[in-house]
Amino acid sequence: MEPLIRVEGLCKDYRLVDRREGVSGGLKDLVRPRRRLLRAVDDVSFTIEPGEMVGYIGANGAGKSTTIKMLTGILTPSAGTVEVGGLVPWRQRQQYTRHIGVVFGQRTQLWWDLAVVESFRLLKKIYEVDDATYERQMALFDELLETGKLLSQPVRKLSLGQRMRCDLAAALLHRPRVLFLDEPTIGLDVVAKENIRGFLRDIRQRDGVTVILTTHDLGDIEQLCRRVIIIDQGRVHFDGELADLRRRVGQTVSLSVELREPAGSDELAAATGALPVAWEAASGLRHVARFNRAEVRAAEVIRLVVNDRQVQDLHLAEQPIEHVVREIYRQAAAGGGA
Amino acid sequence: MDAGTTRFAAAGARPLPARLAWQARIFGAYFVQFLKMRLAYRMDFLVDTLAVGFSLLIQLAVLGVLFGKVSALDGWNFPQVLFIYGFSLVPLGLFNLVSVNLYGFADEYLIGGRFDRVLLRPVGSLAQVIFESFNVSGLNEILLGLAVMVHAGRELGWKLGAGFGVQDLMVLAVLAPGAALVYLGVFLALTTVSFWFEDKMGLAPPVYNLIRFSRYPITIYSLPVRVFLTFVLPFAWVAFYPAAWFVGGPHLAKVALLTPLVGAVVFGGAVLLWRRGVRNYVSTGS
Repeated sequence: MEPLIRVEGLCKDYRLVDRREGVSGGLKDLVRPRRRLLRAVDDVSFTIEPGEMVGYIGANGAGKSTTIKMLTGILTPSAGTVEVGGLVPWRQRQQYTRHIGVVFGQRTQLWWDLAVVESFRLLKKIYEVDDATYERQMALFDELLETGKLLSQPVRKLSLGQRMRCDLAAALLHRPRVLFLDEPTIGLDVVAKENIRGFLRDIRQRDGVTVILTTHDLGDIEQLCRRVIIIDQGRVHFDGELADLRRRVGQTVSLSVELREPAGSDELAAATGALPVAWEAASGLRHVARFNRAEVRAAEVIRLVVNDRQVQDLHLAEQPIEHVVREIYRQAAAGGGA
Repeated sequence: MDAGTTRFAAAGARPLPARLAWQARIFGAYFVQFLKMRLAYRMDFLVDTLAVGFSLLIQLAVLGVLFGKVSALDGWNFPQVLFIYGFSLVPLGLFNLVSVNLYGFADEYLIGGRFDRVLLRPVGSLAQVIFESFNVSGLNEILLGLAVMVHAGRELGWKLGAGFGVQDLMVLAVLAPGAALVYLGVFLALTTVSFWFEDKMGLAPPVYNLIRFSRYPITIYSLPVRVFLTFVLPFAWVAFYPAAWFVGGPHLAKVALLTPLVGAVVFGGAVLLWRRGVRNYVSTGS
């Protein structure tokens, strides 16, 4: 099948002005500013098939948002091409935006002071949604997102989770073919996150909508995306199946152990014996064990430690997304290639 | 909407009347949305309306005192000067009605990040910015201007049908919006500068102050000033030239009819500049 989204050699440069200090510096900046170029997105290429749900991840400042903004027609690239459904986003912006939905987790697209339903009514007019489709969509959103009882409330009085549900509904009202989500679960509690993820799975199955989402939350990726693209310093470092990524990086977790009495890390290593666990002294009575969850069960490590030592506190942490990225980056630098 | 196709149906070029009708519906909807927003804060709305009425009365009083002391100006008699002044307020009011978002554009839209959302909607970006907010007190200036013109007309001995015909009313209905386009074009061009320079340029306020030079017959100024106000910063076209249709000689009356053309050129140029600016738009971080 022909890909729905085609990105080729995409670049974006920002022109920065380095400010000098003091009054004389300010004057110098005025006369001859020190400019330099920052390449935020550097030769990014990928294609996405209709119906795919792709996670686009990277650390802060990696170029995620800049890419999304070029894909949605907000920014004009410095070089390269983007084609979505045969349209060039920034060139055919008004036509193109009829086919996409966009949610920025940090910002609402609803009218702040008005009841939620007023925003929906205006969007209905803007996107020329017919009455029957509007009713159907509203019923669907109420069923899946429970937006019905929020409709009469002013947007400014909604909680973050409620607002995100309404924003998602607003982005999907005109039944777009592609949905762009920039940090859709940022700042939400566990329950709200689960709601949003469940909804995205449902809507994708029903409408076959293609979804691209950026996130800091590995949970979003694990539950929603089969495919991930990792970007760092503007370049793509990994593009493939999540399962493949996991095989490459391993599912490293860290177990932090606080003992009652001092002990050396080697003593703890002796306690876990033959298991492939790397121990490291942290601070004071605290030691950290790192191991691959695919090889070692956390319960087994904990059992061996507790049998051997008096333990005051335990804390098990998933490897944060930044580590996954760093690991991919390290492998790429070591010549593994991505 | 079948999931198999990978090409978006191009909405295509709709016939112009259909497109204009759609645009009109959208802007109507934006205006209604704006009113609802204002009414959400009922007290503010009430206070604003009262303040507008009050300032209207004060301005009328000030005018009375001012022109009670002036009789003639370089061959223009007092009612003529008064008429030009009155006329100048109508395009100014029209302009103020829709320009409120241009002043805060750099801060709110570019730095505050509201422009992202504007670009995500299938409506022209400039139209959205202009129609997202209105300055109701612009109506104040329009009403004041009409009142002053009626008063000046009476002083000039005009009556409807004698000295001031239906044709003149129609010309007024075309020249006033045309003159408002000159204002809009000039300040839109100044606003557009912020697409390239992230700092507020602060050019708009001093230029806004120059507007007051446009309220007098420009024949009282020296030649360089006249050339400047006609061709460089075309503020002569917001009041003097169009008003000359009514109070100037037969020669100036012909010049007056060029006003809509000047408005279209200035505004059209500003729109082209805006489009280039949008291409150059740099969004805020994340």
